[in-house]
Amino acid sequence: MASTLPALRRTSSAVSHANGEGLQHRRSLSTIPSIRPGRSPQPPTARISETDRISDPSLKSKAPSTATGASSQHSSLSSNAQPRHSGALRRPHKLRSQYPRGSTENHVEYILVASFDIDRGPVMEHQYPVAITGDEHMLAELMLPDQAHVRNQDWTIFFLHKDTSQEEDDAERFAKEERRARRNRKPDRAKGIIHESDDEEDEDDDLEDDDWDDVMSADSEPDLEGPPLVYVLNLVNTKQDKTVKRGAVVKAMAICTRHPFLHIYKPLLLLALEEYFKAPVPETLAMLYTAVNEMDLSLMPKLSLLERHLLQSSENKDLFVEKFEAMIEARIAETSGVDVHQPFDASSGPPRRPPIFRSGSKAHIEGHAAHVVPRDTHEFESKVMYKGIPIPIKVPVAVMPEIVGDFSLIKLIQNFSDSHSKTPQTFPLHPHLTTNGPNTHPIIVLINALLTQKRIIFLGHNMPSGEVAEAVLAACALASGGILRGFTRYAFPYTDLTKVDDLLRVPGFIAGVTNPTFEHHPEWWDLLCDLPTGKMKISSKIEPAPITEGLVYFQQQNPAYANLVHTSTSGSGSSSNNDLTGDAAFMADIHRSIASRAGERVVRAKWRAWVLKFTRIAAAFEESVYGASALYIGSDEQEANLTGGAAAQGHGYVWVDEATKARELAGNVTRIEGWRNTRSYYSFIQDVARLYTIRPLKGLDLAHLHDRLRTQRLSPPQSREIYETLAQYVRSYDEICLLLSVAPESQAGLFYVALGLFHKDRDVRHKTAELLERIAEHDAGQHWWRSLSRFEKLAYVRIKKEAEAEEARAKVEEKEAGFGVVTVGVDKRVS
Amino acid sequence: MGASMSISSLFGKLFGSKEVRILMLGLDAAGKTTILYKLKLNQTMTTIPTVGFNVETFTYKNIKFNMWDVGGQDKIRPLWRHYYSGTQGLVFVVDSSDHARIDEARTELHRILNDLEMSDCLLLVFANKQDLDGAMDPQTITEKLQLSKLKERPWFVQPAIAIEGEGLTEGFGWLSDNIKKMPKYGGK
Repeated sequence: MASTLPALRRTSSAVSHANGEGLQHRRSLSTIPSIRPGRSPQPPTARISETDRISDPSLKSKAPSTATGASSQHSSLSSNAQPRHSGALRRPHKLRSQYPRGSTENHVEYILVASFDIDRGPVMEHQYPVAITGDEHMLAELMLPDQAHVRNQDWTIFFLHKDTSQEEDDAERFAKEERRARRNRKPDRAKGIIHESDDEEDEDDDLEDDDWDDVMSADSEPDLEGPPLVYVLNLVNTKQDKTVKRGAVVKAMAICTRHPFLHIYKPLLLLALEEYFKAPVPETLAMLYTAVNEMDLSLMPKLSLLERHLLQSSENKDLFVEKFEAMIEARIAETSGVDVHQPFDASSGPPRRPPIFRSGSKAHIEGHAAHVVPRDTHEFESKVMYKGIPIPIKVPVAVMPEIVGDFSLIKLIQNFSDSHSKTPQTFPLHPHLTTNGPNTHPIIVLINALLTQKRIIFLGHNMPSGEVAEAVLAACALASGGILRGFTRYAFPYTDLTKVDDLLRVPGFIAGVTNPTFEHHPEWWDLLCDLPTGKMKISSKIEPAPITEGLVYFQQQNPAYANLVHTSTSGSGSSSNNDLTGDAAFMADIHRSIASRAGERVVRAKWRAWVLKFTRIAAAFEESVYGASALYIGSDEQEANLTGGAAAQGHGYVWVDEATKARELAGNVTRIEGWRNTRSYYSFIQDVARLYTIRPLKGLDLAHLHDRLRTQRLSPPQSREIYETLAQYVRSYDEICLLLSVAPESQAGLFYVALGLFHKDRDVRHKTAELLERIAEHDAGQHWWRSLSRFEKLAYVRIKKEAEAEEARAKVEEKEAGFGVVTVGVDKRVS
Repeated sequence: MGASMSISSLFGKLFGSKEVRILMLGLDAAGKTTILYKLKLNQTMTTIPTVGFNVETFTYKNIKFNMWDVGGQDKIRPLWRHYYSGTQGLVFVVDSSDHARIDEARTELHRILNDLEMSDCLLLVFANKQDLDGAMDPQTITEKLQLSKLKERPWFVQPAIAIEGEGLTEGFGWLSDNIKKMPKYGGK
């Protein structure tokens, strides 16, 4: 089944999915003896599981806390009945490795070598450890990109779609059901129906981790989309050689992996292909295979989805460093045989441990440390021993769905912005694409095309195919933002004419090519992005956007704004001048960020925010036009249970006023309608539903509350409600993560939350201070706390002093007048 | 002098603005890439097998040629059809010394010309490698390729030695004369 084309799956309704195999046959990798053991939960080693116990006391000592007072109030709506244990602010999940030692899962599954035969064209030479069944020739063609003969070296990337065999399917389904069953028992346990034994606790922690993984994991996408992709990184070399017939040898070597961070293998492929030119035998492949699979990533901690979101959008190099330290502590304890089960005596202080150093620190360089914490927690540092040479490797820690390989959004954006800023491009109008009229920014045209599932081609004539592939991967990340899915699966980072017939059977794709013939076939694509010139072209043969019900309803409901909607009949309306979507302003902001040398991470975080906003606007649109939306789930039941009052019950995107809302919706109608019915729309609905089952604070839309604080003018009673809701409900580790994720550092951080310190109501000020205190003790929250303005920190200190003074005064009064209380009571009764 | 200048710039206006797309095909190792770079750079390059294609643009007799050279291994021949659309001239290159494969070349040539998208294009055949022993002459090549079967289509067989550059200007001279006669270039 090495097919490079995804099975065609048309989703017809929100929940049901994937009927039929599609038009095109897939070949199967299935003869390979189950390389990948199903995604059954991997039992973590018991010792690692102890890390929490170790780290808790020591961490607590770092952050002395006043009573959090958690016990009296409901801290989590989802676990009302659960008594809160003292370590609630610490990570509740067991520390686990992303790639535990002793896992049977290989980093790399296959190594391939192909060459260009002067008589036969591309042929496969060797495959290791076994052959990928199916069309060998097709693989060889992909490994030898067009015009490989004109450059000495080229990289390509392509994906293989694996067909799981029946058995494997069954095994996976079984494992899933097993987990689901256990998950269902969990609420019971939480309610105290089932007694937890120590053994079960272990299993329980596993479940929590698996829950997050099932929902959104980068290297194992869940069922809607089918089995996980196999990513292929390929290096091709052309060597002039006078001694051979026709003067040159062209060979390519590829690494097939399930890790989306396939770029880490580049240095190894360079060495191994060189080696293969000298020794063209299977043993050369075997040597590389063994070397890469011996790479040790077991000290890389596993992060929950929320934690990954936080890490991804943060520039902080220390975020979650505690987890890395804890992993090392556990390993040291494990190897030195110290009994970590022994609880520490609080009085004896934190346990003595071998020092752990940061990578690159003086101690590290001097060689005092066996294990080091990475200098930047975004990347885990490891090495691969190849022929006795240690090759340093950096693996991204927070891997998000649809983020594959290393690419640069900045590069993609600049590529299509520079020529546009000099001579603005004028597009023929298409309601789905030109949402800001004929002068819509090309990058916005691109993201619109991605969202509405158009056929997109990146053409890089005379460019290395590796650069074309990077543009495709960047485009996928642009539209996904780590939130939406269904792009990489239909992406062909590098493809050529040999695959065009198969490609055209895919409804909506993103493909990279170097052959300019594609430009001569406007019937093959909807949007052509020419990399060398930086121009985009909307095909003259693009299918016109249909007039949909939603669009008609919107116009009927909002007659005043109807003519702003950009339909095929009305032309662009007046949207071209007004920037109804806000995209022109957004792009200007992106350009400013790039010009001021903001990093790739900042730009990615901004796009992520754009995608998130789009989904929230779409939800608001559906609710207003259709009366309901599956893009947001807030259970009525839960909302009714909230004691926070009206403030807690609101949800969704926040606008300053109704007119602003109507205008923004009018600008977005066509692309939202174009997005509905796409793969990314349906998988988003599924993700929302899955996330809902496990997310903290069900029924409470923290983003909505935070947006209200941020954008609206609130009366003191209104803001009081919001601050009180936040203070009341945001308590546990995950709940704080959730709050941090709606208040990213790249925006204003905790600024708006901390404004509660200045509320006119004393009670609100004190509750906000308590909330901030909890955040400051949180592994991630401490960094948000640190970047709070001095002004707000001073206010916090003042309020804390005030509270302490009051407490002290109350105590004194209590002592002085033992019966004073009674007197007061009597007084009252009298009056 | 002044008059001739103005005439040539007039031609420049007529033809210079528009590119003429030429597709060069033939069995593998016939000499396609060598011809392309001889025309483009007037240099004899040592070529290696083409993975995919080469494309170059050059001006000859005031006509801007956009010439595509597509790899000829039999496995990749099915891709040739994707290059047909918009092609005004087909340059078919034959290794005149390769008696064994001349019939294979004929089959491929007629398959190309039978495609609807190629129905209006001109045909120039380079009978290449005339310097090799036992090379077939243009007359034999014409017969072997059964060119007499082509009715309406203008065609021409040009003997050539690509590595010397011999015969290439003559061939492209014929091509440009005939392109100027085509209706869309103002000819009759």
